Amino acid sequence: MQYFRGIQEVKAESILTYDPVHAPLKVSRREIFRYLGIRDGKPDPQTSSLVDSVVGELEKVIRPREFHQAYPLNVTGDERHTVDLGCFQTHSRSLEKNLRGCSEVIVFAATIGSGVDMLLRRYGLTEPSRGVVMQAASAAFIESWCDQINDRLKAALKEGLYLRPRFSPGYGDFPLEDQRDIFRALQVEKRVGIVLTESLLMLPSKSVTAVIGAGKEDLSCVREGCEVCRKADCLYRRNRL
Amino acid sequence: MNILEEMKKRIVLFDGAMGTMLQRAGIGMGELPETWNLTHPDAVTQIHREYLNAGADIIGTNTFGANRLKYDGNPWKLEEIVDGAFRCAKKAVEESGHGAIALDLGPTGRLLKPMGDLDFEEAVSIYAEIVRLGVKSGAEAILIETMSDMYELKAAVLAAKENSDLPVFATSVFDESGKMLTGGTPKAMVAMLEGLRVDALGTNCSLGPVQMLKTARELVKYASVPVIVTPNAGLPRSENGTTVYDIDPEEFASAMKDMLDAGVSAVGGCCGTTPEHIRLLKKVTEGRRAPAITEKTETIVTSYAAAQTIGGQSVIVGERINPTGKKKMAQALRDKDYGYILDMALEQQNKGAHILDVNVGVPGTDEKAALCETISELQSITELPLEIDTSDFGAMEAAMRLYNGKPMVNSVSGKQESMDAVFPLVKKYGGVVVGLALDDDGIPVTADGRIRVARKIYQEAAKYGIPKKDIIIDCLCLTVSADRTGALVTLEALKRVHEELGGKTILGVSNISFGLPQRMIINQTFYTLALQNGLDAAIINPCADGMMRAYYSFRVLAAQDDNCEDFIRVYSGYRPPLPKGAVWEEDAERYLKEHGMPSEQNKGTLIEADRSGLKAGRKEGTAADAGGRSDPDKERMVMCVKKGLKEEAAKSAGRLLKIASALDIINECMIPALNDVGKDFETGKVFLPQLLMSAEAAKSAFEVLKDNMASSGESGEKRGAVILATVKGDIHDIGKNIVKVLLESYRFDVIDLGRDVPPETVVRTAIEKHVKLVGLSALMTTTVANMEETIRQLHEEAPSVKIMVGGAVMTESYAESIHADRYCRDAMASVEYAEEVFGPSH
Repeated sequence: MQYFRGIQEVKAESILTYDPVHAPLKVSRREIFRYLGIRDGKPDPQTSSLVDSVVGELEKVIRPREFHQAYPLNVTGDERHTVDLGCFQTHSRSLEKNLRGCSEVIVFAATIGSGVDMLLRRYGLTEPSRGVVMQAASAAFIESWCDQINDRLKAALKEGLYLRPRFSPGYGDFPLEDQRDIFRALQVEKRVGIVLTESLLMLPSKSVTAVIGAGKEDLSCVREGCEVCRKADCLYRRNRL
Repeated sequence: MNILEEMKKRIVLFDGAMGTMLQRAGIGMGELPETWNLTHPDAVTQIHREYLNAGADIIGTNTFGANRLKYDGNPWKLEEIVDGAFRCAKKAVEESGHGAIALDLGPTGRLLKPMGDLDFEEAVSIYAEIVRLGVKSGAEAILIETMSDMYELKAAVLAAKENSDLPVFATSVFDESGKMLTGGTPKAMVAMLEGLRVDALGTNCSLGPVQMLKTARELVKYASVPVIVTPNAGLPRSENGTTVYDIDPEEFASAMKDMLDAGVSAVGGCCGTTPEHIRLLKKVTEGRRAPAITEKTETIVTSYAAAQTIGGQSVIVGERINPTGKKKMAQALRDKDYGYILDMALEQQNKGAHILDVNVGVPGTDEKAALCETISELQSITELPLEIDTSDFGAMEAAMRLYNGKPMVNSVSGKQESMDAVFPLVKKYGGVVVGLALDDDGIPVTADGRIRVARKIYQEAAKYGIPKKDIIIDCLCLTVSADRTGALVTLEALKRVHEELGGKTILGVSNISFGLPQRMIINQTFYTLALQNGLDAAIINPCADGMMRAYYSFRVLAAQDDNCEDFIRVYSGYRPPLPKGAVWEEDAERYLKEHGMPSEQNKGTLIEADRSGLKAGRKEGTAADAGGRSDPDKERMVMCVKKGLKEEAAKSAGRLLKIASALDIINECMIPALNDVGKDFETGKVFLPQLLMSAEAAKSAFEVLKDNMASSGESGEKRGAVILATVKGDIHDIGKNIVKVLLESYRFDVIDLGRDVPPETVVRTAIEKHVKLVGLSALMTTTVANMEETIRQLHEEAPSVKIMVGGAVMTESYAESIHADRYCRDAMASVEYAEEVFGPSH
């Protein structure tokens, strides 16, 4: 509980607001190319200018929002890999591993808004080449927003506490069904404007929910991306050999 | 208490948060709050009582999340929950001796189609169920609150109106930028809700009173009904694992003074507010009289997000989504080729249209279904408001009901029959309706006559409570070649609609020139004259250069274009459009240079594409002597496809048709080019965007060739029909769209069933259209089961159909285990499999 207060004292706000003037989201072209399956990072000039134009269009429509809440954490270490996240319980070997040694957890939900979905649909139907690039670029934008949230949470942490890589329902054996619990606990619909479909897809589609553990150990990888996935031969894997 | 009468006299007070108080009373994290109506009725009653004792005039029942989506599979019956809620509220009112009870309705928690997966009518029916229960239990008003999507808001209001005679209040959530989550603005929301005849409207939740003030002012500015404001107790922050709000009751009440000064009629609190907030708020409101509410006269149509004012600067209604006299559009509608229709919408939007007219009346088709589908598709890709254009009143009603926002409706006339049919729809669903200045005697020949009809339309509308601002008069024009004063009468009439009737006007401009050569010359001048006479909206083709020249130049001359900004943006670097198939020589040269294509030999200021040949002096070529890849035009075609140059590919196809047959062009240029790109894609030399750009270029060239094949009687038959669908539950369709464009570029006839497609629809279509190949896509592990079911049903009922599958979660072995015929790892693989099924192109 001591560390739990540690977060609380410093990180008072539950909402981090997006400031497009002073802290605009930056997306790396290299990351977008990776999402497009362009591995050597050198697309032809047409694709490259398409990416530029899409990024410019997206910058005008994104509306990043988020909400987070810190909870006391109990990784029980029992046979069923029970993890008690304060607002709900789940059973997951990979989440247990991710959160081992942590005493509290931040649960968050973030989105870049529904305007992006309209454009994705527009171009998906009328100009798929642009649609594909927009998928990649908007994925990079939501990742960038999550990174910014991560950095701001980290900056607000009490000394001696460190964050674990964020971990989302659907990663490893962290059940996707837990989305419902996260949505209930954070009132995600009302506060962030994300809803779940019957099949547990999030809408707007460029949205993320995740948990971030906080503990005394500095494992020095606050941000971790898709490397955590065991599908090592994935076409889109970062730092793929 | 008559709430509405009370609102006219004084500031009416709503209660504060229910959720916050339930948490204080100890409700558990996972508990559904509404179950407390039955498990802890005393606690709920106590909360109501505290609010009433604090001075609240209206309390909302504890039914925010009481709907069948949240309570399905739950042991509690909705009926008991709602009835329990009213028992608690009534008991509190009885004990306090005052207070009215409003049935509280919150969002469903789902997003409606087309952006989400909940059907609009399903949403209406979910709310209708609760409304009926609330009415039965004794509700005195219906309070729809915390809505963040205009479409869901419309569903809830319709349900309330259709199932009760109670006053309906509706409040939405706006963020600090003044927008709803799906983009709606206060102006758009007011327009839509007043169209639906709500009794009061406003905003709640998300923000504290300080941040909410701006939105409240906007609402007051546009609303002709009372405005309700119920903010949170400031902004939320975490404290020991719970959410608390950052301003205390004193600050809250004091900040609410500004709201009252801004002209709101009713106040209360949302998340974080308590009886203490309401008690202090009561002090602030006491002795204040209700603000005077004026009837606003601005004519507004909206989409799901944007609002467009009609009046002031003239607006353009794009006329091109209309099959009359357009063979291709008619065919697209018959084929449900929404890609074509959506392209046309976007082209008009890019050219400057403010509203899009939608007319889908093709003889022999189901207009109602087509209109609804087209509107739904359009609203998923454009934020422009639409004009529902039909003479079929059944189709009109269905479309007005389904429309997300406040539509423009075309049209009503002075004929009694027409008014009897259209005005009830406008009264129920809202809308700005075009009133044609004609009646049972036809179009009056004089301006006097047309003014008389306009007056009659206004008067009849008033009987339904439809204000003048929601009628826009079309003074009509008789063709000037048949009636030499046709234009003058129209211009006089539209001026008089403004001056004598204080009304708004619209005009279909191009009728004037019927029967004359070079109609555009007349049209653009008539358009300018109409603008000068105060035309508020013109139904024109925004892709017609002459009309837009008239529009932009008029705005400069009438001092409507500040610093000539728009004019300069549109016309610096302007070159007049060329006839189909022609290209400016400098462009041709630039392409050649940029892309290293073989050079044209002849010079001229303009490369002509008339019927005698590509250019003066070009020899007539045959397919045979231009057969080799060495022919520069064919080489250009190949390069255009390979480089993915869409426009240039279409132009190249047009030029090539002078010297080669369409089939030769396809077989010698397009297919080899596509194959080359496909190979490069497979070997990792080019990537998905390039592959798609090539496919899009091939498709645009193919469109040109298709026209030619049809007219020359050449076999333009496509190669066979393929059904594509994203399975039930899955609403992301990028993968399916990629496969579609590639298959189409290889001339397969794609039947695109869209997203979230039930197995039965796939099976039925496969059988009806005798389809040999079905492609299914699934993105989520949760929806693969639906893919398996679709395959099972196909095997059972249409065993000869081949099935290919793909999608993010699919693997070779998984595809095999669910009995698909082929797993396609990417879009090229689907083309290869289609070629295998149908045989290669020849």
